[in-house]
Amino acid sequence: MRPERVDRLATVIVLSLAGIVGMVVFSLLIYILAMGIPHINWHFLTAEAESFSAGGGIRDQLFNSLYLVVLTLIVSVPLALCAAIYLSEYAPANRWTQGLRLAIEVLSSLPSVVVGLFGYLVFVLQFGFDFSLLAGALALTILNLPILTRSCEDALRQVPYLQRQAGLGLGMSKWRVTTKIVLPAALPGIITGTILSAGRIFGEAAALIYTAGQSSPAINYADWNPFSPTSFLNPLRPAETLAVHIWKVNSEGLVPDARAVSNGSAAVLIITILLFNLIARYAGHRIKQHLTK
Amino acid sequence: MQTKTALETKNLQVLYGEKHVAHDINLKFPQNQITALIGASGSGKSTVLRSLNRMNDDFATVKGEINFHGVNINQPKVNVYRVRQQIGMVFQQPTPFPMSIYENVIYGLRLTGEKDRRVLDQRVEESLRQAALWDEVRDQLKASALALSGGQQQRLCIARTLAVRPEIILMDEPTSALDPVSTSQIEDTLVQLKKHLTIIMVTHNMQQASRSADWTAFMHQGHLIEFDKTDTIFMNPHEQKTADYLSGKFG
Repeated sequence: MRPERVDRLATVIVLSLAGIVGMVVFSLLIYILAMGIPHINWHFLTAEAESFSAGGGIRDQLFNSLYLVVLTLIVSVPLALCAAIYLSEYAPANRWTQGLRLAIEVLSSLPSVVVGLFGYLVFVLQFGFDFSLLAGALALTILNLPILTRSCEDALRQVPYLQRQAGLGLGMSKWRVTTKIVLPAALPGIITGTILSAGRIFGEAAALIYTAGQSSPAINYADWNPFSPTSFLNPLRPAETLAVHIWKVNSEGLVPDARAVSNGSAAVLIITILLFNLIARYAGHRIKQHLTK
Repeated sequence: MQTKTALETKNLQVLYGEKHVAHDINLKFPQNQITALIGASGSGKSTVLRSLNRMNDDFATVKGEINFHGVNINQPKVNVYRVRQQIGMVFQQPTPFPMSIYENVIYGLRLTGEKDRRVLDQRVEESLRQAALWDEVRDQLKASALALSGGQQQRLCIARTLAVRPEIILMDEPTSALDPVSTSQIEDTLVQLKKHLTIIMVTHNMQQASRSADWTAFMHQGHLIEFDKTDTIFMNPHEQKTADYLSGKFG
């Protein structure tokens, strides 16, 4: 075949495959939103969930999901960042580093059910955290660490090598070069990666069923003392998240409007993740702009 | 040599693992002069340059002596951070940090703990004037350094190195990423700068060496072939290899 025909054929194939992917993603998105958005209203977002009667909301589940993401990030960002700094700035190219990378890759492909059961055995039973936000946050940290470490490492690596050399050439120590030059330059990438990972863990269900639990005891949003058992901030209370709620309503829900509740919840979930993504883009862009202004 | 020596290497050898990239380099860099290191790619000139302020410590084994003020600075007990403040470095590509012009210039100075605003302001102006950048940026010192043109960025990097008042500046092909106008501005700057300090520069550009360097060292395959006044090297070199290289027979 002549080169231009090969080229045209390849273009057609690539475009149509990309089109199929786009179609699947978009139709799924539109389907979920179209099914769910009609059920979303102020009452749905601000009312407590019902156990047996119709008309329940998702106030606590939505809050639990967001709070769990915050707790998870508090634990996982420092860990991932330190690991990434080690891997990108300090790790020598030897077997130990290779092994570490392999471990991270394996960890990133761990099924979330396995992580959930591990969390149940270790955090819930062994450490005695019971079904709690803390156990859930630690399980999500295990899920989040490999991906977050990877994206932080990528962000650090994208800082040009010469920048480091320039810092060293001025008489800076390696640690100073890392914290004062490399880290600020990598910040947009790190923040974007963190927010995107937040979106991913926001929708996680399987790892939470056995760790954060499936129940939502009454919580008091006026109680700001995190040690009080009814406080909304208490990390040791069990907490059903939005994604777990969808799973539960569908599998064992007793409410008559289970379909509506799960459709509405799914739409809220998708919209929130969409917001995370948009915020990530915007934040990364703004910080970059700020640095080059 | 009539002039004083700013830096001297004795039997300097550099190895990457088992590979010898520089053999027995003996050089005396004259004070307040510009010395150019020339040679084909892979001749070891950049490696030698980077060894002079211990920038190769992490990658290579550097043997031999590097004498600076009578002290051999190629010893583990010597404080490399001090050495690099005295022997600064400018790289192939401009390396401004993502912060304001002002902050870039005083970055090295802040490391030494200087906090007095008046000293900092004064040093910013002094360094930018020496790097011939002051008139272009005096009204936008708070603007990001990344908004400057390539040539301006490189002069900013020179100013940043000057701000800690080093005695020697090492330059690794400082104009290779710049257009001819910026290049000649930098060359003019260098000639002004040698009143205050010693410049050692690696260059691939023969015109640049002949225009701005007082002394030239020619390296070939890790060996120092010839080191003399630039005029001598270019007009009547003693070694056949030097003549061949300069006339374009290899490299």
